[in-house]
Amino acid sequence: MIEANKQIKKDLVNQGLSQGKVFSVSEYIQLLNVVLKKCQAKIIGEVSQVKISRPGHIYFSLKDKNESGLIECVIWRYNYGLCGVELKEGLEVIVFGNPDIYAPWGKFQFKAETVEVAGKGKLKEEYEKLKKKLTEQGFFSKERKRLIPSCPKKIGVITSSRGAVIHDFNSNLKKFGFEVKLIDSLVEGQQAVKDLLLSIRLFRKQDIDVLVIMRGGGSLESLLGFNNEILVREVVNFPVPVIAGIGHDKDVSLVALAADVMVSTPTAAANILNQSWERVCLNINRHSKALIYTYSQWLLKINSEIKHSFYKMSSRLEIIFRKYRKIEGKLKISLSKIKFTISEQRTFLNDNGRLIIKLFSRLLSQTNKNIAKSWNKSLEPKFLSSFKAILLCIATVEKGINYNNPGRQLRLGYCIARGGGKIIKSVKSVKLEQEIDLQVNDGMIKSKVKNINKNKKNG
Amino acid sequence: MANENLNDNLKRLSEISNWFDSQEEIDVEEGLKKVKQAAELIKASKKRLNEVENKFEEIKKDIEGEIGDSEINQN
Repeated sequence: MIEANKQIKKDLVNQGLSQGKVFSVSEYIQLLNVVLKKCQAKIIGEVSQVKISRPGHIYFSLKDKNESGLIECVIWRYNYGLCGVELKEGLEVIVFGNPDIYAPWGKFQFKAETVEVAGKGKLKEEYEKLKKKLTEQGFFSKERKRLIPSCPKKIGVITSSRGAVIHDFNSNLKKFGFEVKLIDSLVEGQQAVKDLLLSIRLFRKQDIDVLVIMRGGGSLESLLGFNNEILVREVVNFPVPVIAGIGHDKDVSLVALAADVMVSTPTAAANILNQSWERVCLNINRHSKALIYTYSQWLLKINSEIKHSFYKMSSRLEIIFRKYRKIEGKLKISLSKIKFTISEQRTFLNDNGRLIIKLFSRLLSQTNKNIAKSWNKSLEPKFLSSFKAILLCIATVEKGINYNNPGRQLRLGYCIARGGGKIIKSVKSVKLEQEIDLQVNDGMIKSKVKNINKNKKNG
Repeated sequence: MANENLNDNLKRLSEISNWFDSQEEIDVEEGLKKVKQAAELIKASKKRLNEVENKFEEIKKDIEGEIGDSEINQN
């Protein structure tokens, strides 16, 4: 559609002017606008008669300070918002755009795409003012900064596709399989704002891990696009972390201050992306070495413990075997002695057995004879006499026992007196009125002590 | 998305290292299992970390299409 319109306009200019065509007013204005579009320029002047229309577009006049030139200007609300400049009476600005005739009114005006404050001092003042404002709103605070994800793979890059920046960045990215998506953008001056903003918004729709915004170093004027409030807000609210690789002379750009990581060269930006990959490489090697070392140490320790146990067991077994061998030796000696003795005895018996048996039989027979002989002659009278003496002794003992039997004494009229469970043998053992038991031959008599008389002889 | 597998591998390797550090008594069999797991993780990680060419792609933008046309109309 846009291309088709351009072609129609081109034809209009070529055909109309060469063939002496009669134009309608609208056609002629359209033709003029095609030509005027080519008169794109930067104009410096002092602002006057600032008016804001209902939709928010800004109409103002730009005039020379010391000369009489004046041009009516307009800047659309959107572009004005991007500029971050407040147009005021007397402010010296540089506008960039092209002239245009507004057909319904036939009004000639300069359509400004960008407005920037003119003069270094004023620029610096605007920069400091915005920096202060955004600082107060916490846009640059450390707490807000996000960490770059470990091992990022999908990288979004916004920079100029021409020049050394993208070349340095690409050549310093190590071969970790990065997938880099580049959006070519203007990076110079106020005109860059729109392009940068569009690029950032486009990357919002892309699947990326990190966004990198880069440009080479420059003056405050050339970095003007990076000191824009809307751009700062876009960076702060970007869904993934942002790395700013924006060179600077004295004043760090506000976009860089707002980014999660700020470096000043494309090489440094590439290194930031390489860092976590390199760290992972190092960590994996470190873990690998540490695990091998630890497990080897384990095995060495276990091996040493096994060896120690083996030596311990060996030494214990050696003691046991030594004792066993000693006992075995002794047993062997004893057995050989026994064997020798048996062998000797066997030989002796073989040699003298019959003679011994003969002698032994003779000795046994002789002994029998001697016993029989001794008994008949002398032992019999002695035995009989001893036997009679024993019988007499037994009769005497029996007689004595019968005489001293207590039952016999009771039958003769004696009695046994008991008091307190004991036999009363003395008057000292009883008290007056004490009950005592008298055992007689055929029973027991209960009595009471009425009188105690001691024998004089005993007293 | 960052490379999750690689980070996961590193995390698991770190856990295995910590396991070894925390053991008071040596369990050679369990240790061997852990070493085997670690070897697999290291192998997979090194494979990923081997030189892989970077890819570059340029995304074209349509300025007039992206920035609202409505704002170009006057009044």
